[in-house]
Amino acid sequence: MQFTLAQGIVKAAALLGAGLCMGMGALGPGVGEGFVAGKACEGIARSPENASLITRTMLVGQAVSESTGIYSLVIALLLIFSTG
Amino acid sequence: MAKKKKSLLKLFLLLFIIEVIIVIISSGYNKELQIGFEKGKFLLRNIEHPFNLQEKITEEFQIDEYYRQKGIEPTIYGSKEVYIFFKNTFGKENAISSFQLIRMLLIVDLILLLMALYIRRRLLSRPSKPQILFEMIYTALEEFVVETLGKQRANYAPYIVTLFIFIWTCNMIGLVPIPGFMEPTRNLNVPLGLGIFAVIIVHITAIKVKGVWGHLKNYVNFVKNPLFLLDIVSELSKVVSISFRLFGNILGGAIIILVVSSLVSFVVIPVGLSLFFGIFIGTIQAFVFTMLALTYIGVEISE
Amino acid sequence: MVFSVEYIQIASYLGAGICVGIGAVTTGIGSGIIAGEGALAIMKQPKANEQIFRTMLIGQAAAQTAGIFALVVSMLLMYGGFDVVEGGWFRAAALLAAGISMGIGSLGPSLGAGYSGGQACKSIARMPKESNAIMGNMLIGQALAQTSAIFALVVSLLLLYSVPNQPAGISIGRIILKSMALLGAGFSIGFGTIGPGAGIGFVAGKANDMMGRFPKEKPKIMRTMFLGAAVSESTAIYSLVVAFLLIFAV
Repeated sequence: MQFTLAQGIVKAAALLGAGLCMGMGALGPGVGEGFVAGKACEGIARSPENASLITRTMLVGQAVSESTGIYSLVIALLLIFSTG
Repeated sequence: MAKKKKSLLKLFLLLFIIEVIIVIISSGYNKELQIGFEKGKFLLRNIEHPFNLQEKITEEFQIDEYYRQKGIEPTIYGSKEVYIFFKNTFGKENAISSFQLIRMLLIVDLILLLMALYIRRRLLSRPSKPQILFEMIYTALEEFVVETLGKQRANYAPYIVTLFIFIWTCNMIGLVPIPGFMEPTRNLNVPLGLGIFAVIIVHITAIKVKGVWGHLKNYVNFVKNPLFLLDIVSELSKVVSISFRLFGNILGGAIIILVVSSLVSFVVIPVGLSLFFGIFIGTIQAFVFTMLALTYIGVEISE
Repeated sequence: MVFSVEYIQIASYLGAGICVGIGAVTTGIGSGIIAGEGALAIMKQPKANEQIFRTMLIGQAAAQTAGIFALVVSMLLMYGGFDVVEGGWFRAAALLAAGISMGIGSLGPSLGAGYSGGQACKSIARMPKESNAIMGNMLIGQALAQTSAIFALVVSLLLLYSVPNQPAGISIGRIILKSMALLGAGFSIGFGTIGPGAGIGFVAGKANDMMGRFPKEKPKIMRTMFLGAAVSESTAIYSLVVAFLLIFAV
């Protein structure tokens, strides 16, 4: 596939943007999910009888915090495959 | 306890010695040791093998591409007829990788089957050592299953244990110092297949518990959940994250061992590295995959 | 755009500098956290100073793994045979991207491993009897935090060694496109590992802390740590997927 200069620059910007989008987008969810899991460790140590309840809350909470990461993934894939 | 530790230490020492011997025999990084059968005779020789890191990484990562670039016939460690059959079935582009993958999967299956038969034949009330090991693994994982899914679903334990033992054996088999042996999990198809399988089982269980409509309600309820399309994406992302985690770790280990080994001319450090990536990372990733497959089910049915 | 052979060398030296320069930032901070907590812990519990000192040293060594990865990549960039003449813009972009990837990629994991090690020292001061269990847990937690650094290392090694040479006679648009895709891959995995690395470090640190307070709950704490760390890692995996797509599918 051959590109003209303008088309190439547009697509190149989209690809660089995809990389930056996924990279920066993974920052927040990573820290946030780690925080959730750390607090869950603390909770389970303090009240081990509620372990399964806490684990479930942790996983659901992480799934919700991860949604921004998934938005980034969707946008990055769209930028790679459907632009230019 | 002390005895167990001692025997484990012995095993590590044995592995270490074997790897050191392999390193010494293959003497330097531009030689390659070949062990195997050729024309019905046992074969052990040290051949010239010019080492080029770039080519080697291509060989590890895209083996078909490597042989196409070089334009030579691939060295296959197996039957020629079967390879030709693969070539005709999967096409020339994927012949070697699919042949390698299925050969390694068959070897893993064979090992597991023989082990199962061996232990089954000698089931005792006062158990032998391998039986104790397997009973330990089984009870530990069964405990997790009961804790996560409740007592009435303890029948999920065989699935979980199978998953763990299969992935663990797959990760370990790369340690066996025979040319042509590689971890099947290094090929993306295996983790992806396992991941899709795990997520399908999650949904089958959810449908069993809540009924078809009860389960679908979470996804197509426009009023309660206007972003339901993203829920479907997140369902797919479960497959991606669970399978690429396994794949990335195992492949990463392989590539790092290769590059570091070439930097230090294959002296001693690679042995420690391959023990770290093979045993430590391999076990952790097998455990993580199994636990995630289990808790996905737990979260889905508990709501 | 006229390509001159020196651009490849410029890119590789620039990449080497960025790699070890940025990578060393949090390696220092992480080791410092461990040393600080270790000193505090010895003050609280002078009797256990041997265990605490040992944990501190081992923890620091493990926390520097990502920094050592960055050092290896920058050595490869300088002396790994990249004073080549062929490859064109693709090679230059790939070398720069390899440095960026590993440099930024070691920021998070080092910080996380540092936090984990610091909490382990604190925890041993509280419960010197459990020092072996806590140290084992610290090492496992740090290894979990380093997995995202391993992803960054894999991407940068692939960028170094498996990017094809620029074919002759392709259009300028195509050249810009592919070069930017390679740079994007470096940025994607580089930034993508910061969050998960730091987050998993926090998980491991909390687990170490709690293991000193409630040593009886060890199996449950470890299991939660594994599970939480595995889920926190998933965004790093998405970054890895995007980086693979940018390297191999564009």
